[in-house]
This record gives sequence, C-alpha cells and structure tokens, in this order.
Amino acid sequence: MANPLSTLKRIYFSVYNWALVYGWAQVLYLAVKTIKESGIEHVYDAVEKPLFLSQTAAILEIAHSLTGLVRSPVSATLPQIASRLFLVWGILYNIPEVRTSVIVCSLVISWSITEVIRYSFFGMKELLGITPSFLTWLRYSSFLVLYPSGISSEVGLIYLALPYIKSSELFCVRMPNKWNFTFDSFYFSLLALAAYVPGSPHMYTYMLGQRKKVLSKSKRE
Amino acid sequence: MKVSVVSRSGREVVRGGLEFSDAATVAHLQEAIYRKTAKKFYPSRQRLTLPVQPGSKEKPVVLSSKKRIKDYADGNNVTVVFKDLGPQVSYRTLFFFEYLGPLLIYPIFYYFPVYQYFGFKDKHEKLPVQTYAMYYWCFHYFKRILETFFVHRFSHATSPIANVFRNCAYYWTFGAYIAYHVNHPLYTPVSDLQTKIGFAFGLLCQASNFYCHILLKNLRSPDGSGGYQIPRGFLFNIVTCANYTTEIYQWLGFNIATQTVAGYVFLLVAASIMTNWALGKHWRLKKLFDGKDGRPKYPRRWNK
Repeated sequence: MANPLSTLKRIYFSVYNWALVYGWAQVLYLAVKTIKESGIEHVYDAVEKPLFLSQTAAILEIAHSLTGLVRSPVSATLPQIASRLFLVWGILYNIPEVRTSVIVCSLVISWSITEVIRYSFFGMKELLGITPSFLTWLRYSSFLVLYPSGISSEVGLIYLALPYIKSSELFCVRMPNKWNFTFDSFYFSLLALAAYVPGSPHMYTYMLGQRKKVLSKSKRE
Repeated sequence: MKVSVVSRSGREVVRGGLEFSDAATVAHLQEAIYRKTAKKFYPSRQRLTLPVQPGSKEKPVVLSSKKRIKDYADGNNVTVVFKDLGPQVSYRTLFFFEYLGPLLIYPIFYYFPVYQYFGFKDKHEKLPVQTYAMYYWCFHYFKRILETFFVHRFSHATSPIANVFRNCAYYWTFGAYIAYHVNHPLYTPVSDLQTKIGFAFGLLCQASNFYCHILLKNLRSPDGSGGYQIPRGFLFNIVTCANYTTEIYQWLGFNIATQTVAGYVFLLVAASIMTNWALGKHWRLKKLFDGKDGRPKYPRRWNK
C-alpha cells in the first residue's frame, strides 16, 4: 500500500472532484430543465445556489496549484478562476439586471458541461487510477467549442453589465482619503475586459498544447 | 572535425553538417549556422546544446560561444542540438524602453492638466511632497537608464522580443497607476517628518543599490564573460542579492513618503518578483560553489 500521505491526498482529491461533478451536474440539469419549463430569464434563479457553491469552491484549486499538490501551473489556473469569480461574484451577484439575459444560459451551460467533464476526468483518475479514453478525449477536445462559447458569454455579460456598473457606483472608493486609494468598478471592469485580449489566446493555446501532448501520448500507448 | 547540427526532433538543420579546425570556437559554429540557414538564425537566436539521452532527467549542456567546439566533442565528431529562441532584442534596448516609460509618463501627470479628463478640477499648485516625489521617481529611472548603458555587464546579450511587450506593460502601467494617485488634486500628504524620513531612507538605499551594482560589475570582464562569481563585500556579505534588497527598500522609502495604495501594491509585486529571482540565484550559486574540484564553497549568508 502506498504511503499514508499519498492515500490521504487521493481521498481528498476524489472527494473534491466528485463533489464538484455533482455540483456542476446540478447546474447543468437545472439550467436545461428551466429553459424547457419556464424560459431563459429564470435560469439564473434556478441555478444560483449550486453555481455559487461550485464556483466558489474552485478557489481551492489556486491553493492546490500554489502548493504543488497538482501539476497545473498557476499561470493557467489563476486567470481561469479569476474570470469565473469575477463573473459570479462581481457581475451576477451585484448586477441583477443582467440575470435575465440569454447570455446567462450560454454561460452556465458552457461552464457546467466543461466542469462536469473536467472534474469527472480527474475524479476517475484519483479514485480508480484510470481514465477511460473517451473521457480523456472529451476532456481535451470539448474546450475547442466550449472555450469560445464560454469566453464569448463572459465577455458579453460583462459588456452588458457595464452601464449598470457605471451608474450604481458600487464598491467605488473616491479620494481624498488617508491612503490615497481609489477604486472605480467601471474602470476595473474595462480592465477585466481588456485582460481577455491576451488572456483568451493564452488559455486556448495552453489547452491546445495539452491536447497535443496527451492525445498523442495515448495514441502511442 | 565534423559537426552535425540537428533540431530537437532529430531533423538536420544544416544538411551534410559542418567542418571545423580544432581551434574553432562555438562562435564560429554559430556564424556558420547563421550563414547556412539563409541568414535567418543570427547567433543570439541560437541555443546549442549537447544531446541528452532519451529518458534522462539531466539538464542539457549549453554550448558557450567562447569555448572551443573541441571542448564539447568526443573524438572528431560532435552532434549539437539546435533550438531557435525566436527574435531577440538586446538587454540594453529592453531596459531602455521599459525604464523610459515611467520616466516620461510620471511627469505628464505632474506637469499637464490631465485630471480634468477624469472629471476633476485640476489644481495647478502641487504640494512640496508631490514635487519631491516626482524628482525622486525621475531620478530613480534616470539612474536605471544610466546604469544600463554604463554599469551593468550582461552575461546574456539578448532577451526574447516578447519580453519587450510584457516588461513595458508592467513598468508603464504601474508608472501611470502610481503617478495618477500621487499627483492627484485630491492627494492627501502624510506628515512632513514622515515624508523626510521616507525620501532620505530611499535615497540612502538608492546609493547603496548603485554601489551594489558597481561591485557586481567588477565581478565580470567588459565583454560579459566571467560567468558566475561569488559576490562579496558590503551588503553581499549578508545576502546574495543585495542589489535587489536595496532596490526593494528604496521603493519602501518612496512609499513611506508618499503613502498610496498604488505604490504599496507596486512594492509588493516588485518585491515578490525580485525575491523569486534572488532565491533562484542563491540556490544556483550554492549549487555551483560546492567546495569540490577546487571550487570555493559558497560562504554562509544570513539565511545560510
């Protein structure tokens, strides 16, 4: 039997990954169900709780990366989590006006499909030690469509929220103050949008590289 | 002797290989590769290594341009692995542009009525601390540019061109971010005493930093050769990268005097970047100067 520390690690990651599979599967299920039964403008309300829970839990992944518990580089983990948290806690939580947009549907569906695949891939690896080739293929191929659809939804939602962010002056800090500090949510959101310009190709090409590495390796085996 | 040049995937980069005399240096090899590849891969773009056994975890041996090719050869033949580092820019060019940004951007916020475009009534009078801050800041970056051209001796002449965009974005953005806040019409100064202490401490650290750079320069010969040496004297007896230490404390002095969150954020980011570099350099030097084979053993510093 392997040393107790690596067993503990395996248990921890099995629990973590499968819990998130469950959380995101809920989001996906509720989203689709609500679209069919009630209409797109009710999707946010239906998925709010599991969405917030699952997405916020992902903060742990930054810690996993920083402490070296997982191999993923911080440069790929941080922008991913940052954009997710900005959308969920920054935009959706504070700007109710955008919750009824159809973009929310494309957003949560893109995210939830990606995450169900990703977490079950890792969950299989941790729990059973194997990854069925179909799941591997899904994990390293679905991003080809879901990254563009997810990223477009994120950018679209931020853009939609801009006028409300500007007028609400939420979280804005003005000068004068002792620490000469300013914060303007509107400019911050513009900066976030600008970050997608170098950020999206960076993430996409990172995944393309991973795909090439993993799929060619499994072909040779 | 015969040299065959291959890419990392095994493809021949120079068909048929190259012939050299025993006295030829790696620099000659690089020149020949440059000429034989339609003059695309100038020497600073080339990274030449000795092949590593597949599956070996060893880091490949990088060929030094000053050594003879024969020093790397086993007998009369040698295979070198070629990697294209991409378009390169000299460190001097890189540093010049990344420092020029802050040097020009900061005074723009001081001298020109920019705040009206942000919706503020621009006051023309600047507080004394704002004037001193501008002088301090500009002096700092002017010093850096002078050091780039007259003090620093670079071991690697060039850096990938992508770093120009990355580094300029870092310096120029933080420069504007800090300049905006310190020169703001609604800026709140700290006490006179705190301002004086901050700037005095900062200037002391800048002077120390300059002296550190002189000491580092003297470890190398003018053409940049000399490789790794043990830095000694002054604050180098306490820390391996005393130049980074003094630089970090110099920014602390600026922030004590000007007190902006923007300045402290910059201090935090800069300090973490330099700390990372310093740790890397410290471990590299400790590993190289292990006391074996006639090499000196790296002396104990504050963190051993």
